[in-house]
Amino acid sequence: MSDDDFLRVTDVSKWYGDEKVLDEVSFEMDRGDVTVLIGPSGSGKSTMLRCVNRLAEAQEGSILLDGEEVLSPDLDVDELRREVGMVFQGFNLFAHLTAVGNAALGPRRVLGLSESEARERAEAQLERVGLSDQFDSYPAELSGGQQQRVGIARALAMEPKLMLFDEPTSALDPELIGEVLEVMHGLVEEGMTMLVVTHEMSFAREVADEIVFLDDGHVIERGPPEQLFDHPEEERTGRFLERITSHD
Amino acid sequence: MASATRPAAIRERVADSDRSVGRLLLVAAGALFWGWLVVSWINRWLGGVIVPVGQPLVPVGAVEAAFGAIPGLAAYAADAGFVVELTPVLSRGTWLTVVITGVSLTLGFIIAVPLAVTRVYGRFSAWLSLGYTELLRGTPLLAQLFVLYYGLNLASYVPGAVSGVFARDVVWVAILGFTLNGAAYQAEYIRGALESVEEGQITAGRAIGLSKLETIYHVVLPQGLRYAIPSWTNEFVYLIKYSSLAGFITVPELYYRTNQVASETFRYTLIFVVTGMTYLALVLTASKLMERVEDRVSIPGLGAEREE
Repeated sequence: MSDDDFLRVTDVSKWYGDEKVLDEVSFEMDRGDVTVLIGPSGSGKSTMLRCVNRLAEAQEGSILLDGEEVLSPDLDVDELRREVGMVFQGFNLFAHLTAVGNAALGPRRVLGLSESEARERAEAQLERVGLSDQFDSYPAELSGGQQQRVGIARALAMEPKLMLFDEPTSALDPELIGEVLEVMHGLVEEGMTMLVVTHEMSFAREVADEIVFLDDGHVIERGPPEQLFDHPEEERTGRFLERITSHD
Repeated sequence: MASATRPAAIRERVADSDRSVGRLLLVAAGALFWGWLVVSWINRWLGGVIVPVGQPLVPVGAVEAAFGAIPGLAAYAADAGFVVELTPVLSRGTWLTVVITGVSLTLGFIIAVPLAVTRVYGRFSAWLSLGYTELLRGTPLLAQLFVLYYGLNLASYVPGAVSGVFARDVVWVAILGFTLNGAAYQAEYIRGALESVEEGQITAGRAIGLSKLETIYHVVLPQGLRYAIPSWTNEFVYLIKYSSLAGFITVPELYYRTNQVASETFRYTLIFVVTGMTYLALVLTASKLMERVEDRVSIPGLGAEREE
């Protein structure tokens, strides 16, 4: 029954000034699902992602997360963000904190764990992303791929029920993309619910339960990867996929 | 370094030893200066345990004799003796200069941080902060001190809790003036540094559920204050020198005391050269201290690495 959807985005619209960047976007996810948003740059996919944790404000529509209205003006956004992890294209690691410091800040200051509990949790998450030998490294001492894995560990340390990935590999050198995708693969296998914006089509095909193709703020088409990639119904989808795969 | 050719390596070693000789001299001068100051202060606090209060630590006669014995320096024996005679006045005035600077800088910092934060992240409060900063930076510091001391007569309203800490309550008026004025300047330096903290840092803080204020406290300030150290050091250095304006509201700090001796003895040049050297020593100490602080709190990759 669709009323039980874990995340249900209904007719979400957003304007920046006069420009409509999201136009009645709708999709839904079950718990444990992986949904990948694809589309040309400027299509609104990152904005859509940010509306889910209210880093961007949608003006119309509804986003139900676990039955709660995310767009409600009464919602405590900080509480929402505790439960929704986010990974950024530019990593955005706290530049003054070590890897452990980055992953421990949320548990310590937001969840109120003790110093040692927070550290323990941070270390566990860094181990999970394969960085057990970089606990005390500062962001500037890490490669891009390592930094992004710290970014993932930082989000995981909050034990989120939904993870948002905003083009997590777009800022990485090609040879560093693999290690980040591998970590994300691991999360998929563990059953993490993930909403991902990415241009990595082979990754999307492998792990996505559903692909949502956005263009100009509209959902042009959505469906399971086999259908959308191999038999796109819309001409625009086909053209986009052709463009992007010819890049690979 | 290992691959450097021999001549270059030698040149480097010579340069290194030059630098270390210079460093050694500087350290020795610093040790002498601060040693003299601290011993003089202790002597005064303990009521003259080493030499009678008001007397130089070394006898004037001995210095004159030493100068007289060295050919070429004999002509300056009287001047040297005069400078030694001046040292108790110098050390006494320097005490107030150091205290006024230290206390004003610290209190000013406590005010400056919220001023800078509201300036960058506030809405209405940003205008208040801007108004305060422009008013205090846009009017002469001396005029501000005059308003506090002569205009508002604040010296008679010093609260009982702190009244009497200094021999004269006017010192508190000077501290208040430098605190309020310095806070405006410090806020400007800190504001600039806060603005250079990347926007993505705030986004990331908010994304893990920190409130805006928590993000500023845990993420923006630790980075911004580090960025601010080099320019903030300017304010430290300025304040050391500007604290001489306290003399104009009768605070007996370094400038006030030496000026008094100068007007009694008419030895202006010598006295103000020595006074100037004393300020210089304080300023060099401050900038060296802040370099140390900067090194101590530096984090790999955060801000530009300072060139040695």
